[in-house]
This record gives sequence, structure tokens and C-alpha cells, in this order.
Amino acid sequence: MKTYNIYKSLLFLAVFSLLGCFGLQASSHREAPLIAFDPLADNTDVYAFRSPDDPNTVTIIANYVPGQLPHGGPNYYSFGEDIRYEIHIDNDASTTGDDIIYRFTFSKTNQDGSTFFNIRLGQENLKTTYMMEKSTDGGATFSTVVSGGIVPPYNIGARSITGGAGLGAADYASLFNSAITTASSGETVFCGPTDDPFFVDLGGIFDLGDAPRQNGTPRDGLACFNVSTIAIKIPIADLQKDGKSVNQAANILDPDFVIGVWSSASRRSITTLNGDGTSSASGSWVQVSRLGMPLTNEAVIPIGDKDQWNAASPYNDATFYDYFYNPELALYMDDSLFGGAVPAFADLRIQRSTSPLGLDFGNGQDGLFVVKGSPVLNGTAMEAGSPFENFLLPKAGAPRSVDLNPIFHTGVPNLRPYQLATGKGGNPVATGKPFINNFLPNGGDMLRLNMAVPVTARNSADFSSLGLVGAAVLGLTAIPLCKTFLTWMVSLTEDVLRMM
Amino acid sequence: MRLKLLPKRLSINTLPALLVALFVGGLCETAIASSHREAPLIAYDPLADNTDVYAFRSPSNPNNVVLIANYIPAELPHGGPNYYTFGEDVRYEIHIDNDVSTTGDDIIYRFTFSRTNEDPTTFFNIRLGQENLKTTYMLEKSTDGGSTFSTIVANGIVPPNNIGPRSIESGVGAGAASYDALITGAIANATGGGGEMVYAGPADDPFFVDLGGIFDLGDSPRQNNGGIVRDGLSQYNVHSLVIEVPIATLQKDGKAVGQAANILDGDFVIGVWASASRQTTTTLGAGSSTGSGSWVQVSRLGMPLTNEAVIPIGAKDEWNSRTPYNENPAHYEYFYNPELALYMDDDLFGGAVPAFSALRIQKASLGAFDFTNGADGLFGLKGSPAVAGTALDDAIFGTLLLPKAGAPRSVDLWPIFHTGVPNLAPYQLATGKGGNPLAAGKPFINNFLPNGGDMLRLNMATPVTPRNSPAFSSEGLIQAAVLGLTDPTYANTSIQFIPNMDGFPNGRRLEDDVTRIELQAVSGVALAAIGLWYDDYYPNPNEAVSPVTNQLVNVLQYSTGVEQNDIAFKSSFPYVQAPWRGTAVAQKGTE
Repeated sequence: MKTYNIYKSLLFLAVFSLLGCFGLQASSHREAPLIAFDPLADNTDVYAFRSPDDPNTVTIIANYVPGQLPHGGPNYYSFGEDIRYEIHIDNDASTTGDDIIYRFTFSKTNQDGSTFFNIRLGQENLKTTYMMEKSTDGGATFSTVVSGGIVPPYNIGARSITGGAGLGAADYASLFNSAITTASSGETVFCGPTDDPFFVDLGGIFDLGDAPRQNGTPRDGLACFNVSTIAIKIPIADLQKDGKSVNQAANILDPDFVIGVWSSASRRSITTLNGDGTSSASGSWVQVSRLGMPLTNEAVIPIGDKDQWNAASPYNDATFYDYFYNPELALYMDDSLFGGAVPAFADLRIQRSTSPLGLDFGNGQDGLFVVKGSPVLNGTAMEAGSPFENFLLPKAGAPRSVDLNPIFHTGVPNLRPYQLATGKGGNPVATGKPFINNFLPNGGDMLRLNMAVPVTARNSADFSSLGLVGAAVLGLTAIPLCKTFLTWMVSLTEDVLRMM
Repeated sequence: MRLKLLPKRLSINTLPALLVALFVGGLCETAIASSHREAPLIAYDPLADNTDVYAFRSPSNPNNVVLIANYIPAELPHGGPNYYTFGEDVRYEIHIDNDVSTTGDDIIYRFTFSRTNEDPTTFFNIRLGQENLKTTYMLEKSTDGGSTFSTIVANGIVPPNNIGPRSIESGVGAGAASYDALITGAIANATGGGGEMVYAGPADDPFFVDLGGIFDLGDSPRQNNGGIVRDGLSQYNVHSLVIEVPIATLQKDGKAVGQAANILDGDFVIGVWASASRQTTTTLGAGSSTGSGSWVQVSRLGMPLTNEAVIPIGAKDEWNSRTPYNENPAHYEYFYNPELALYMDDDLFGGAVPAFSALRIQKASLGAFDFTNGADGLFGLKGSPAVAGTALDDAIFGTLLLPKAGAPRSVDLWPIFHTGVPNLAPYQLATGKGGNPLAAGKPFINNFLPNGGDMLRLNMATPVTPRNSPAFSSEGLIQAAVLGLTDPTYANTSIQFIPNMDGFPNGRRLEDDVTRIELQAVSGVALAAIGLWYDDYYPNPNEAVSPVTNQLVNVLQYSTGVEQNDIAFKSSFPYVQAPWRGTAVAQKGTE
């Protein structure tokens, strides 16, 4: 087993290096020039996962308003009144556009306009409530499913929250919990301030990719900052296109259980300053921020196109494919390009020449395009005549059209070659071990989730923040799982270590 | 009104107590945010959010005055990938009033910024010598109230943000010698004969305040938490406009400071305020935003904390839209009967804010005058012989200073914020008044310029207290008053320079602890300085009784515990410190 252990060690090292990259970039906080200065409408992150405490449901979280100082008085932070905050869900590749849309609209009121304090004597200023609407016809019609929803006040401090001169609440958690409501359509909903769940060494990564820092200690640049969160817990049967519950899934990679999730913020086209300290909005709604996959607009789309990316929707993303075919970050992982200029990425190098096919995935190279139309691709997602052939192999000089572009724009099907190498006998396009199916190709940048995949318990020793990379490592290396039958793979780096 | 007797001057044995009081106070000082995200509308337009204004004689060249206006609050030094810079569609202006006989501004400096991407193919801000969102500016100047402008800096440079060593110094970044070299290289000398030196760019936020405590219902200094306080703006940056201007360029008749009649010469008073304006209509397209229409003011700042802690939330947005020349008289009420005073009065909400327990307002000063909210203050004297010849005389400024009953702070807070304070009785130190606050006393301020409202008023003739002098104090004019009342050197009624007479509210130096000073002022310390002592002072015609009573000492000792900036200021232009480096900060959202 000596050689096997060495193989695992190398793989683990590679994964460990990836941690340094994946773990350390800001998702979408102030990521484009225009939205950087419209914090209320700035969508920072989207999450979608099966609820660990209720696996018949999926939880979707969309965060807004980055970099909130917890002590940012006197006005603190809340959602904007003249903004449409939306969470969009695609669940059916055969329909055009969104299948479900949740829309949140907020209102603020001053309960005591005579003070500069936010909370005083039981009264709250900029007190925020919301209406939640739901559309299941692509946005043609909406019905109200929460009205008068409560946004908890900011967690200002003991005097404001629990003190008698303030709100006199039992504690902040009680305000938080009592703001959780159930929509008339069955969803559990929360809108309000939370800790920013994202973590990243902002200072390092944006100093020309210095993550991990080559001199100095990394730090989470978002530690102790808050965001404004919209969280919805939804029964899987309400999200699945045919109303099926999760136990009706054919298997844990059933493609009928894939959803695509993205969120957005829109403002009206015209804002008018009235000259007396008020402003008014009019005109049609214009999307000013969106988020699906993390980091897309932060570290893939270059500055010249960031504002346009925010204005586009997943359904018209093709114009941005080139940034995925030849990503800027890959320049810094390639010694023949700028690899030498970013020492922090030294462990990250891209396949420039893989045997047995001699494929080159460096920027500007052809990747798998060299075998386009070849019988070697028969039976794969890229075979000649496949509906995905031209999406996956669009042209020469687009090496990452086979991995990064589909990960961000279509999801990954459970088809050759998108299976683990286990069982492939050295031929990457052979049948291997299934490990993902979140393929939903009728839209671009979305966060795609196969709701049939079981939940890794958060308190499990197997749980890993490396997500699917952790699962792939196990799928390739853990002996009990090293077979080509469909099984659920846990993401477990500790076990790999133990075996080595 | 039998106020004749004391104090001729405070007995010498009161001096040690006072000095101890100040020294103790000096160890742990105060804080409120000046105007960071202070009104609902501007809180979400950071590019146009004016946070602070400073005006002081240059400590390195006393023939000049330094004007500073800061914008864009709470910039994270590591706030990539786009970092922060001035807005392209915003007019940033510094306004100067120097002549009470002219209407409105006499000088206006207007900054307009442009951004360009030198390499739009990267998401990094600086790469291979190219800078994105690279910002330049034009500085225009008007000396005719804004009718015409002439360009005095055509293509000024805004340094990039201080991202980190790879972006600033390294060869794959900007390749600069140091960040300070970028600041120095960005300093411009204006044309047009005014002699201005200009810097526009990122800087450490010079303001200091325990934001978390003070806005938790006034918990400053914090009563729990082991008494631990923190500067809530520590290690955040702002964008600064800094102009150093020869005094002769600012003085209404072009006089140099050597021509001042004395150090309180009324002809050398300027009023300074800053603003940001946007065009009326903003139109969003797909990934674009376009401004059109006339310019509308969306933020302004003169005196620190006005719109943060004096104007209530219901009026904050309107306050930002006005100018000092069209203040809403309804807002005067917030100075006549300030909200903060509610929390310094045991008959009102004093018990609800334990942190302010040392701050109590005169309810029976000299046994006669009540300055607490809703009381009459000095209004009972209106038109009486007692005020004849003083500023309170209706023939002088009595109509402004004693407008009505029930407006007790019309004689101190209102003029401090809205007209400046004249060198007239009763606005002279109690020294030499013989116990009568309305008598002539020792001059200590003259920044009276009554043709406008909220401005930062500076008498440019007042000498500079060196920053390295042991006498220098962040208590500003309050410290000058204490010395003037207690130090035998100043036991006369002649005009003399007392250290820190050049401090807030006579202008505002970067070091001045305006939060502490203003809270003390709300607590009536300016009234005490002119002889309207605290309630626990009982003059006795038969023996010398010190007016330095426990209440006065309590007020002078009061501190929020955050008394200075988190980093020393530069000793020369542009005085604000370099912005914090994105890779060098340890600051978090909260403790």
C-alpha cells in the first residue's frame, strides 16, 4: 500500500492548497464599481442547501448590504425601501426563465421622530417591515404570502435592546426568533440583520492575490461585520418541478431534483432628488445587483464588465463565457504566464500536458477541443451531435469550456466524462464513479443544487468545508467507496489523513 | 441680582484641583461620531456623505489656514476589489464666508472627479503598473458667491488606495517607493494667485469616537463592559480634501495676519462649511447610471455633531438639503432645548443615562437662572438695564440671543453653532467680572460672523498652540477658559493669548475632542466660564468662595474615554495621516 498512500498524500496536499484559494475570496461584497456605492442594493452572497435540521426542506439565503459596522450608529443599517429584493428559482430545464420568484419589499417608519437615537423608550426609528410575494409563473403574477413581516432592530447594545430606557426585550435572540414567520404558502421566513457568514482574507487576496499571505498573518476581513439576510426554508416538494417530495427521488443524483438559485436587487430607473431632503423613485425596475455562484463578479469578471454583469440575468450570460474559458486567475497559476508574479498561488498549477492525450488547459490552449468530433468522445456529454457538444467544446483556445464554464453556467451532469476517475482505468472519458449531478442547462450563472443528495450532518466528523472537493477526494481514495456503484460520498479529509 | 462680589478671580488654591481635574480628564477622553452616516438618506450614499470639517491655522506655517473636508465614512482599508474613491457625479465643495456684509459664500472651492480604468481586463485594482478606477480631479474656485468659477488645479492626482505592499511597492503593482511617496506626489500647488496647496485622496479617518457606546442610548463612557471603550472609527479610512490657504487669501480685505489689530480681530473671522451635491435625476440603464438636471445638495457639514446628535431623525434629511444661509428656524428649537440636555437633567431623563451622571445643567445658577430644557434661562433679563450694552441688549443682538421664553440655550448653544461668539459681554471669561456674569470680563473668543447658520467659525488672528507644547490640549477652548480663569498670568481683562484659544469651537483642529467638548457645552460649561456657575456655588459676600465646585469639576472631568485618534497626525501638509494599509489592519467590525 506504500504507493497508494503516497498517492493519497499528494492528493491531500493538492486539496489543502485548494483550501487556500477557495476559502479566501470575497464572494461579492462591493464587487462592481456601480454597486460598490449602493450598499443597500448590494447582494453579497447566496446559499442553498438542504436544511440540516429538516432534510425535507431546502434553505435559501440571500445576503445584502456588505461591511456593516455593528456600531454604525446613529442610523445603523436595514433594507432599502425603494428596492426589490428577489430570490429566483429555476427548477425545469424545459421552461424558459424562472419558475419560482420570491420578492421582498420593505417599509420603514419612525416611531419617534424627535430623537436622534435609533431606539428609545420602547420606540424604534427606521423600524422596518416587509411584504413577501411569490410568483410561480415566471413573474407574470405575484401573490402576497407574508404581509407586515417584522425585521428585528439592530443589535445596538444592552441599553437599547434589553434596557428599560430601550426596548426592554428579554434578549436579542428573542427579537430575532419572534421575527421568524411562516408564509401563507408554507415557507419559513426571516429577514433581518445577521453576522456575515462569509469569511475571506480580503486584504490579502486583493493585494494582487496574496492569499495565503507570504508575509504576515491571514485574517478574515469580514470578521465581526454584519449583513442583512433574507432566509427562506422551503419544502422540497414545493421546489421540485412536479411537486415530488425527496423520498420520491429515483436516486440521490436524480436530475429532476436539480434547482438553480440566484438573487437580485432592482431599483427603479429614475431617482429624483426633491431638494428638500427627500428623494423619489419612478420608472421601470432595473436590476442593479445579482448573485448566483460565489466570486463570479468578484474575481472572474474583470472591472470593465462588472457593471454589465450585474445588469444581466442568468438567461443572457453567454456574453461572459470568455472569462470562464480563459479565467484571469489561471494566469497566476501558469509559470509561462504570470505564475511567477503571485507567489501565494505557487501550489496551484494547471494541467499543461496530461497523458495519455497530451491535453493542455493553460489559458489560450485548446484543452479537449483537440479531440472534438473524435470517436474517443462517444458516449460522453461532448460527443459529436450531442446537444452539449458545442457548449462544452465551442472553439479552439477555450480550454476551460469543459470545466469552469459548465460549473458556473449549466451545472455538471452525471455523464461521462464528469465522473470520478475511479474505475476509469486511466481513460478520463471512460465511465467512472458518479459524484455530482446538478445539471440544469437553461440558464447561466446560478447556484445549482441537487435536492436529492443527502445531508452531511454538521456535527459529523465527516463534515468538511471543502464540500464536493472533499467528496471527490474520498471517492477517489476511500477503500470502501472505491467502486463504481452509485453511493453517497461523504466529504471527509480527516479519514484520508487517518488512512495515510 | 446681587452678584457683585466674587470671584475677582479664582483663588490660587483652586488651581491645583482644576489642573488635577483636567489632567485626569486628559487621560481618558470622550466621543460621538461627527457626521458619519448621520441621516437616513445619506447613510446609503457613502460617496456623497460628508463626515467632518476642520479649519485651523497651520501649525507648520502660521501664515496659512488649513481647511479639511472628509467624505465616505468607514472605508475598510481592505475593501477590495473596488476599494473607494470620490464619485464622478458628485460636486464636492468647501465654502467660506469671510464678510458679514455680503450675502452667502465669499469663496467656494469645488472639486470634480473623473475615474478611468487603465486596464479593464483585470479584477485587481492595481496590476503591472496599471490602475483601475484611477481618479483625477479638477479644482475650481469662485470668489463671487458661485456665479463664476475658474480652474486652479486642472488635472490633480488622487493617489490609489493603500491596498498592500504587492499593489503599491512591488514591481507587479504600482512600483512606488512607498505609499507616502504617492501622497507627496499627489500634492498640488494651485494656480490663480491664491497660493493654495491641495491634497485630495484617501486618509486615515481623523475622527475618534466610541460609536458603539454613545449610540447605545448615550452609554459613553460605557458603564459596563469593565469600562472598556473603543474608538469605533479606529483603522477606517475616509477620503479627504485638504487645502492650505494663505490667510491673506481668505481674509476679506486681503490682509495678512500681521495686519490684525489684535488676536481677536473681528475682521479675521471665517465661517467654513462643506457639502456634496448630486444632480436632480439619476437614471439607471443596464449597468450604467447617469446624472442629469440641476445640482441638489445631499450632504453638508459645518459644526461637528450637529446632524448626528442635535437634529432628530425626523429632520436630518432636510437639514442636509439646506445651507447655512437658509436654515429652517424651526430647527433652532433643537439648540434652544437640545435632546442631549434631557439626559443631563434629573427632572427629565437624567436617570436614564447613567453615563452622563457627571454632566448636569445649571438649574439655579447664582440662585436665579435655570438653563434646563423648557426653562427661561436669561430671558427674564430681556430689555432690562442689566443687559444694556451687552450682546443681549435688543439694540445689539438681544433679538437673536433672547428670542422668547422657554428657550434657555439661546444664549450659548445656539450662537456657538449659528453665529459664533462675539468678544462682548457677557461672552467673556468671569475673570474680572466681580461676580456679575453680565459685566465685562477677560476676552477669550471672537468668532462672531452672524450672516449664516451652521458653520465652523475660526478667528484666523488667534495664534497657534504648538502641537508639541505641553500646554496643547484636545479640550480646545474649554482648556483655554480654565487657564484664563485660574492661572494668575491671565488675571486681568486685557486681550492675551491663552494656549488653546485656537481650539474648538474657535475653528477645529484635528486633535480637538469635539465630542467631549460639546457634551460639556450641553452641560453648561460655557455658561460657567462666563460666570453663570453651577448650582452648588453659593457666593458669600463675607468670604472668598471658589466657584470651582464639585459640579464644575465633574463636568470638566467628564470624558467618554476615547480622547485621541488612533494614530498621530502628520506634522506637515496634508496633516491627516496616510490611509491604513489593507494588509496591515487588525480592525474588525466590533470588539
